[in-house]
Amino acid sequence: MNFKKLFFAAIIGSSLFTSCTDDDANETPLGNYDNGVLILNQGGFGYGNASLSYFSNDLSTFQNTIFSLVNPTITLGDTAQDIGFYTNLAYIVLNGSSKIEIVNRFTLAHVGTISEGLSNPRYIQFARGKAYVTNWGNGGSTTDDFVAVINLATNTVSSTIAVAEGPERIIEENDKLYVAHSGGFGYGNTISVINAATDALQTTIAVGDVPNSIEEEDGYLYVICGGKPFWTQDETLGKLVKIRLSNNTVTSTISFPEGQHPSNLVIENNSLYYTVDSGIYKKTLSANTLPATELFSISEQSEYDVYSFAVKNNKIFVGDAVDYSSNGKVYVYSLDGDLLANKTVGVIPAGFYFN
Amino acid sequence: MAQNDTIVLNEVIVSDTQLKKFSNTKYVSKLNDSIISRSNTSLTSLLNYNSTIYFKENGLGMVSSPSFRGTTAQQTAVIWNGININSQLNGLTDFNTINNGNYNEVTIRAGGGSAIYGSSAIGGSIHLSNALKFEKEFSNALQIRYGSFNTLSVNYALNASTERLSSQFSIVRNNSDNDYKYLNTNQKNQNGQFENTSANLSLGYKINPKNYLKFYSQVFDGLRHFSGTLAAASKSKYEDWNTRSLLEYANFTSKTTSNIRLAFLTESYKYFEDKNEVFFNYGKSETTIAKYDFSYQITDKITLNSLFDYTHTKGFGSDLKTTSRDIFSGILLMKHQLTSDFLYEINLRKEITSNYQSPYLFSFGTNYSLAKYYKIKMNVSKNFRIPTFNDLYWQQGGNPDLNPESALQFDVINEITTKNLVFTLTGFYNKIKDMISWKPNSNGLWQPINTNRVNTYGIETSLGYNKRLFHHHVVKLNLNYGYTISENQDTGKQLIYVPQHKLTSSVAYNYRKLTVFGSHLFNGAVFTSLDNYYRLKEYNVVNLGIEYQILKYCRMGFQVQNLANENYQAVIQRPLPGRNYILNFNFNL
Repeated sequence: MNFKKLFFAAIIGSSLFTSCTDDDANETPLGNYDNGVLILNQGGFGYGNASLSYFSNDLSTFQNTIFSLVNPTITLGDTAQDIGFYTNLAYIVLNGSSKIEIVNRFTLAHVGTISEGLSNPRYIQFARGKAYVTNWGNGGSTTDDFVAVINLATNTVSSTIAVAEGPERIIEENDKLYVAHSGGFGYGNTISVINAATDALQTTIAVGDVPNSIEEEDGYLYVICGGKPFWTQDETLGKLVKIRLSNNTVTSTISFPEGQHPSNLVIENNSLYYTVDSGIYKKTLSANTLPATELFSISEQSEYDVYSFAVKNNKIFVGDAVDYSSNGKVYVYSLDGDLLANKTVGVIPAGFYFN
Repeated sequence: MAQNDTIVLNEVIVSDTQLKKFSNTKYVSKLNDSIISRSNTSLTSLLNYNSTIYFKENGLGMVSSPSFRGTTAQQTAVIWNGININSQLNGLTDFNTINNGNYNEVTIRAGGGSAIYGSSAIGGSIHLSNALKFEKEFSNALQIRYGSFNTLSVNYALNASTERLSSQFSIVRNNSDNDYKYLNTNQKNQNGQFENTSANLSLGYKINPKNYLKFYSQVFDGLRHFSGTLAAASKSKYEDWNTRSLLEYANFTSKTTSNIRLAFLTESYKYFEDKNEVFFNYGKSETTIAKYDFSYQITDKITLNSLFDYTHTKGFGSDLKTTSRDIFSGILLMKHQLTSDFLYEINLRKEITSNYQSPYLFSFGTNYSLAKYYKIKMNVSKNFRIPTFNDLYWQQGGNPDLNPESALQFDVINEITTKNLVFTLTGFYNKIKDMISWKPNSNGLWQPINTNRVNTYGIETSLGYNKRLFHHHVVKLNLNYGYTISENQDTGKQLIYVPQHKLTSSVAYNYRKLTVFGSHLFNGAVFTSLDNYYRLKEYNVVNLGIEYQILKYCRMGFQVQNLANENYQAVIQRPLPGRNYILNFNFNL
């Protein structure tokens, strides 16, 4: 139970709180898009066609382009990267447009826009009533990367924290922010720890190459490092790194077999999931070895690899970017890999956000 | 529609001799001077309003690439005085880096021409020529155009020639704030300013009636800020610096023509992601060409032409593995006037290079005059587009194992010519395979592969009408219409950014010192995604102008462009300007 959820529960009330943990269908929805998942469709770079889709928890209601449906006069923007939920609001980060659109997370009614002070924004997280947004700055510069701190009362960038190149995923735990440096256009290998009380960089933790996804569970940070791909001519192994947050030390590292470059780490119900190419893998959180075989593969549904991934409510969600130009696909599976739903969404489904 | 065999015609000589001698079985359209002088200065604008070629223009003045007969941007060749000048780096010509004012002839040659012109002449080729005159002449021309968005264009041209010596010099300067309003929004075209300067010098020396020495050179220096879109602001800028030089020696005898050409071409670009920062990406190429061209008129009826070409190119850049490539080509052309009504042409080409497998290319065509006014031309050809330096050597992702794209093509051209009218109706079919496209591979790396098979087919029609109605009243009318299907054979989908319909028309009415003219462009809807789910709607643009000879040596004109204030986009998210105005003065001294 993190701070975000508690804060949120206090404001919204307990009825919604239960919606995070079970599938009780009798609760009163807080908007058309409650009790389901928001699917963020990135859109093509330069195409300005980022969009949102909605899929209800019971998979009975599915809808595309819900942002423009609710806000017909507003263009969501170019290259959507992430959504962060805070209180009853959703903050949609648009990388290409260098802005954040704020909407009601349940109704999608537009609330505001943050358009100043961001440069190649990537991911968003919240702590102590502030938002933290990772920014690459100019792709050609390795020294202008930063985390923007946003005052949520005024929706303006109040300060910036300079960090190493390519800050990507960010999570929050106990008023600390953990930023994975996958490296932007280069290849990073660190986690930055930011203290939300001081908004200063507290320490840096070395991990494997290209930390592309992070999760926190029971006082530990789990990091999937993809490793450098072969075309760098300096291929390195993928790694699963476990870090004890009480002292920021690495307690274990498991290397992946040569040529396997994992991504999409998810921890759910004491299981750890990740994907490699078109395969979905699952291991018990505490196991010291990696599974020898995949749980299942999406190859029956697609000739492409897993693009985005989530596990929630005993279902596995996979986003398929297909050819990066056409509308993408979302596949929903049971935990055993039985296909439950197959939907066409917007261009490049990049993430799942559960209401 | 060049039918004349003679290349030393009224003492005018050109370098692109094959365009005149070996294009009898093709659709060829030469754009006349008045059309060129009334056009905006870029080649994009000229061809957009006067041909069926579609342009994917990333906002006014920004990168602009063609689609000719439903093919890709790399499948149209641009030929400068006989030399293919498509970029060695990305395989295409950005038509907004070519200023019309530097050439005295612009010609469209539709359909396959790879056997003569090499890579990229699949959809067709655009020929930019500087014809040199060997007669007494001294003339100066200055054109000044000023219009909306603080757009200034100055074009100065000098022609000085005698019977022995011929020279042409021209310089074109364009600059624009280019901050037009996006219609129906409160946004402007942000970061769209551009400026460019280009100069051309052509020299010819007649050593004696049988021997000529010629030199052509050209530079283009451009700076563009790349404009933002409706959804994303931009802070980038882009610099182009291109040079072209060609030295030619020509020898004529009664039966033979020999040409030796040496050319040196350079291109370079710098892309600044942030115009306020010092870092940039760049790419450069340097190409040296040596060509020997020998033409022999065996009999009155049969002409043979052989060419040997050696091209050495070096490519380098911030994202490119420094590499060079050598290509040897042998070309054999034959034309046979079998009867007074019937001729055929055969073209053969084979290239040898170490970098990829190169196919045999050919073209076979006939030209048959069925009646005094009616002519039918048929042509079958195999053409190709070679992989570019970016395709082969981009870091990371370039694929050194690529093969050329190849295209088998057939077209039939009906041509009706009367005193006042030229009408053509063309059907074409083009089967393209091994199309090179960049796709993510199983490791997530974007790489070019030879993948798609595409069939393009359609109909093109053109009408030119020119009539002196009665005393001093002259009317000119031009129409072009193209219907194009360009279908990916694996998916059954239309290629993106290929309109099914395109129509252009222009009309000019002249009475003594006054000319009134108008032009119209209809561009059908285009798909913008591979699944043909997303599309840009069709648009109509109408321009209207008036010109008056205010002094013997000065014409003054005024144009309204996009008269109906159409809100349109040629590329998604990038609106083009609404109604805008241009004032021009042309001085001829």
